[in-house]
Amino acid sequence: MKFLPLIWAGIWRKPGRAVLTLLSVVNAFLLFGVLQGFASGLNHAVAETHADVLLTLSRISTEPLPVGQLDQIKRVQGVRATMPMVPVISTYRTPTQIVPAEAIDPAQVLAVDPGLTIPQAMIHALQRDRTGAIVSRVLANRFGWKVGDRVPLRALNVANRDGSPTWPVDIVGVFSSSGGTLFKNAMLINFDYVDQGRTTNGGTAPVFVVRIDDPHQAGPIAASIDKLFANSANETKTATVRQIAQNNLKQIGDIGLVINAIVAAVFFALLFLVGALMMQSVRERTPELAVLKTLGFTDGGLMGLILAESLTFCLVSAAIGLGLAAMLFPVARRLIGFNIQAGPLMLTGFALAIGLALISGLPPAIRAMRLQVVDALAGR
Amino acid sequence: MEALVGLKHVVKRYRRGRQVLEVLHNLDLEVAAGEFLALMGPSGSGKTTLLNLIGGLDRPTEGEVDVAGERIDQLSSGRLAAWRARHVGFVFQFYNLMPTLSAERNVELPLLLTSLSAAQRKQNVEAALALVGLTDWRKHKPNELSGGQQQRVAIARAIVADPTLLVCDEPTGDLDRETAEEVLGLLQQLNRGHGKTVIMVTHDPKAASFASRIVNLDKGALVPAPAMASI
Repeated sequence: MKFLPLIWAGIWRKPGRAVLTLLSVVNAFLLFGVLQGFASGLNHAVAETHADVLLTLSRISTEPLPVGQLDQIKRVQGVRATMPMVPVISTYRTPTQIVPAEAIDPAQVLAVDPGLTIPQAMIHALQRDRTGAIVSRVLANRFGWKVGDRVPLRALNVANRDGSPTWPVDIVGVFSSSGGTLFKNAMLINFDYVDQGRTTNGGTAPVFVVRIDDPHQAGPIAASIDKLFANSANETKTATVRQIAQNNLKQIGDIGLVINAIVAAVFFALLFLVGALMMQSVRERTPELAVLKTLGFTDGGLMGLILAESLTFCLVSAAIGLGLAAMLFPVARRLIGFNIQAGPLMLTGFALAIGLALISGLPPAIRAMRLQVVDALAGR
Repeated sequence: MEALVGLKHVVKRYRRGRQVLEVLHNLDLEVAAGEFLALMGPSGSGKTTLLNLIGGLDRPTEGEVDVAGERIDQLSSGRLAAWRARHVGFVFQFYNLMPTLSAERNVELPLLLTSLSAAQRKQNVEAALALVGLTDWRKHKPNELSGGQQQRVAIARAIVADPTLLVCDEPTGDLDRETAEEVLGLLQQLNRGHGKTVIMVTHDPKAASFASRIVNLDKGALVPAPAMASI
């Protein structure tokens, strides 16, 4: 600690240059925090999905499946509960205000989504009110909704019988559920309301949610379900929610690889930036470093001093950058429901900062260590 | 009086490319403890080289350098650095202060290598600054101080760890006459009042007159006193 003023003074010797470099490094760590946070949020979201929830979809197209198939699925050994689901992709006031509404069977929703905690009274209220809707706290906060509000949803994929895309719903409850795989951040509306009110595809659903007893039996049960409808007009494809989420992510591309590549490129450039700053700083301070050696600082001590300077600079920059990124995590949770694990991310970030400091600080530190006092004092 | 510094048959050669320059030739010198020695001579005579050898900043090519009872020509780089911190205070012509540190932080630098507590370091720094008359300027950075004040900060830094020997390379070379005399008076006070042995390189006969002994160096060898007149 007693060397801190000396280290700090070394960093701020040229304040303008130090501030610009600091901003660059802060920016890099902010980028790292946000991108890695996004990646970890995605992975966490996938990991949070339950392996005992299956989704059954049409094997050959996006055509919906007749809800009559649910009776057969229910009879498959190991199936605990089933439910039809129609995603009603909607907007609210503007086209950018997307509302993830799901038309579901209120009587089955808690049975098919383990961990989802919605009070029974709220479920009953939804059952009583055909145009009722219950919304997650995340959505209610985002759009300022409260119980009693009438919300005119503008569906993008389901037309109303009157020819308009508008589906008015009445909010009868706002729920907060920390668990649940499918519905914890959604708006839930009655399947019957949508099914009876739409112009086409009555009596069908594009997705069946299937809850099973034993997650280890997911594969055989999915195969049994699909076998039931093999060679029929409505062949099915069943998989766990986790498998589907992973497949969807893979379709976008290897997000982790892309993010790591971006972060690696940024830090590679940063290595040169910080290295050049440190090298220039040491070169400019040659006489001062020679004086420190004159006063009794050893070669190793001087090397340590320069490395400590590099380390302090990088750690302070990382702390600011990662701190700013951490401030964005609650916003990400509120907007897209991502639950980002800040702890491991911070540890990785600081480890990266230490690596950056050591690699970029080593060449100037060695230069300082090898400094010949007599030559340096003589200006040679 | 007992010799604090003893040089025996010291030779110093430098290699400049293919050329080998012998800067000091078979030099013998003794400096007694408590002495104020002025080292004079023309440019290129080897004064600073000799001072560097005595201060443990450089090693002789041949010969022995004994300072404060230690054969410093035989010490490893690390031990030599520790020895310098303990035994020698340096004062340079251009002060060589850290521009980003305040006067008191500059003075504190040698104490960072000791095991003194923060409170003890502060106390020693205050005492050293008081001795050079700069207590009120302790928070100022070097660029806020005059040349004379900066040199006094450098002297405070040189004495703060209570070294046996003060090694001064042209300490008044960058100062006007009046300030130079103040600085020389301060060195004299440290020598007479505090028992510090001072070895000072100078071109200036007036500065040399503050010393208790003058040694003249010419072309890498000590020359008899009459050569003084020609300087």
